[in-house]
Amino acid sequence: MVCSIVVSGVTVRFESSVVLDGVIFSVNRGEVLGVLGPNGSGKTTLLRSIARAINPTSGEILVFGRPAWDYTEEEYSKVVSAMLPNWPGGFSMKTYEIVLMGCRNRSRNFWWEEEEELEVAKEALQLLGALDLFERDFDKLSSGEQRKVLIAKSLAQRTNIILLDEPVAYLDIKHKLEVMNVLRTLAELGKTVVVSLHELELASGYCDKLLVLNRGKIVAAGEPRSVISEDLLREVYGVEAEVKWDGDHNYPLIIPKTKKIPKEEIVCLR
Amino acid sequence: MPPHFKQKRLRFAAYLTTLIFFMSVALITSLMIGSFALSPNEILEILFHPDKNPVAWSIVVNYRVPRMLLASITGFVLGVSGGVIQTLTRNPLADPYITGMSSGAALGAAVAFVIPFLPIYAIPFFAFMGGVSTLLLCMLLAKKANAGPIGFILAGIAVGTFSSALLMIILALVSEKAHGILNWIYGSFSTSTWTEIKVALPVVVPATLYLLAKARDLNLLLLGEEHASQLGVRAKTLWRLTLVASSLAVATCVSFSGIIGFIGLMAPHMVRLLVSSDNRFVLPLAGLTGALLMLLSDDLVRSPMNPIAEIPVGAVTSMMGVPFFVFLLLRRGSRFGM
Repeated sequence: MVCSIVVSGVTVRFESSVVLDGVIFSVNRGEVLGVLGPNGSGKTTLLRSIARAINPTSGEILVFGRPAWDYTEEEYSKVVSAMLPNWPGGFSMKTYEIVLMGCRNRSRNFWWEEEEELEVAKEALQLLGALDLFERDFDKLSSGEQRKVLIAKSLAQRTNIILLDEPVAYLDIKHKLEVMNVLRTLAELGKTVVVSLHELELASGYCDKLLVLNRGKIVAAGEPRSVISEDLLREVYGVEAEVKWDGDHNYPLIIPKTKKIPKEEIVCLR
Repeated sequence: MPPHFKQKRLRFAAYLTTLIFFMSVALITSLMIGSFALSPNEILEILFHPDKNPVAWSIVVNYRVPRMLLASITGFVLGVSGGVIQTLTRNPLADPYITGMSSGAALGAAVAFVIPFLPIYAIPFFAFMGGVSTLLLCMLLAKKANAGPIGFILAGIAVGTFSSALLMIILALVSEKAHGILNWIYGSFSTSTWTEIKVALPVVVPATLYLLAKARDLNLLLLGEEHASQLGVRAKTLWRLTLVASSLAVATCVSFSGIIGFIGLMAPHMVRLLVSSDNRFVLPLAGLTGALLMLLSDDLVRSPMNPIAEIPVGAVTSMMGVPFFVFLLLRRGSRFGM
């Protein structure tokens, strides 16, 4: 079986700093892979490399057995969609105009959107519980609402591989779950999902496999129950916490050991 | 069809109808006015019965019609290219004049003008080289300065002023041909003939058609190369080809009409303000708006109120354009939305 994505020895250097260091992993069809790691660990760079926003310094990325950079833009946009949050603002566009941009890859009409594309856009927003934003100005939405619109735009590309960089940031718990539920079902429909997350419990509960990055290197990978551990929290995140697993679900209970900051440490901010 | 689509189309139709109305008025006026005033009836008579008044027929057909056409074509090109350049540079304050592209094109044309025995068909090519190189230089400087949209404008001023200075030097060196070059500095349609239209059309028509056809992809390019590529647009290729097409069209027009500022800035923003910021609406309507603004400005400089000497048309467009530029600058600074 050909893996959807094979990342072999990918290294990304920006000037002198190494952001990704020989990352190796693969994702199968129908899997949700969660990418974890503290701020600045290389999660975004990894997703951007697979999305071809960055050309890695060395190493290779295979998408359905073919090097990512061998695809043309048209071809790649039909295989891989990416929700990267560095979306430029300030263009006074309506929400649906942005979601419809996702449909460009399969559009037969070079000038107008077809009726069918409008249905795609509606379904994408509907799934994420954001249909009421359809005609709102994108710039005037809250950060969470904008996130949902950008996810809808990626879904509207109807690709087999979906990359999402922190899709649930800024969302409330209901919408966090909603987004993850949509991704889960899309994976069951045979799509491959790679999603970077900061929410450990959510990642553990929804992803088939987890991959933990720290300073550009993979430090742990595998089933959620084998990855999320007290050692991992201590070594990667620098957090002392107790991790409890119970029941047959994959949601860990993470109880941090509260570290009190003595009042004497606050001097100037008083 | 969602209501907003209908609303957009409604506004599109309303805007277009208004444009066509004013356009017809401006077109008829441009045939009427001048040193030899004609009434609409007289124009009809001249056009349908040329033998009755051959002198008037010659004035209308050999001077006023080409002047009217060249002004419309130039306005259309500046409007469309303004919208395209704003998209390509992702800067709402950009236009062929502000980016120094027009000055560069005029410089290129002036160089072609002083080279002896060069056919008239070569002038647009020289103007194109001048226009493209100034625009690229301006973008390079803006990138190095890294000061956002305002940095871009400052780079444009620097590059444009430098090209204008070179233009002045050429002007001083070849004073016997000075009148022609003087026209480029301030912009004028006073010497328009059919020859210029014959040279301009084969370049301008395919270039603008290409730009209009790419309007949907240009919307994606507005998001930057990275996002556009991910959405399936060959961003680099599209960026280069649209830049070449708009520079070619602008340079061709500039080489005949001279440096006419601010049409390319005003026209696209008027459409964004009144219809939509979708390039599929902006580009064609900005073209028509540009043509209308240009015709009105040209009519104004030829009006009987101005009997002594003809004011350069570029002065009139700048009179309108500068307050508009200040309005954009104060209202949103660097934003596209209106």
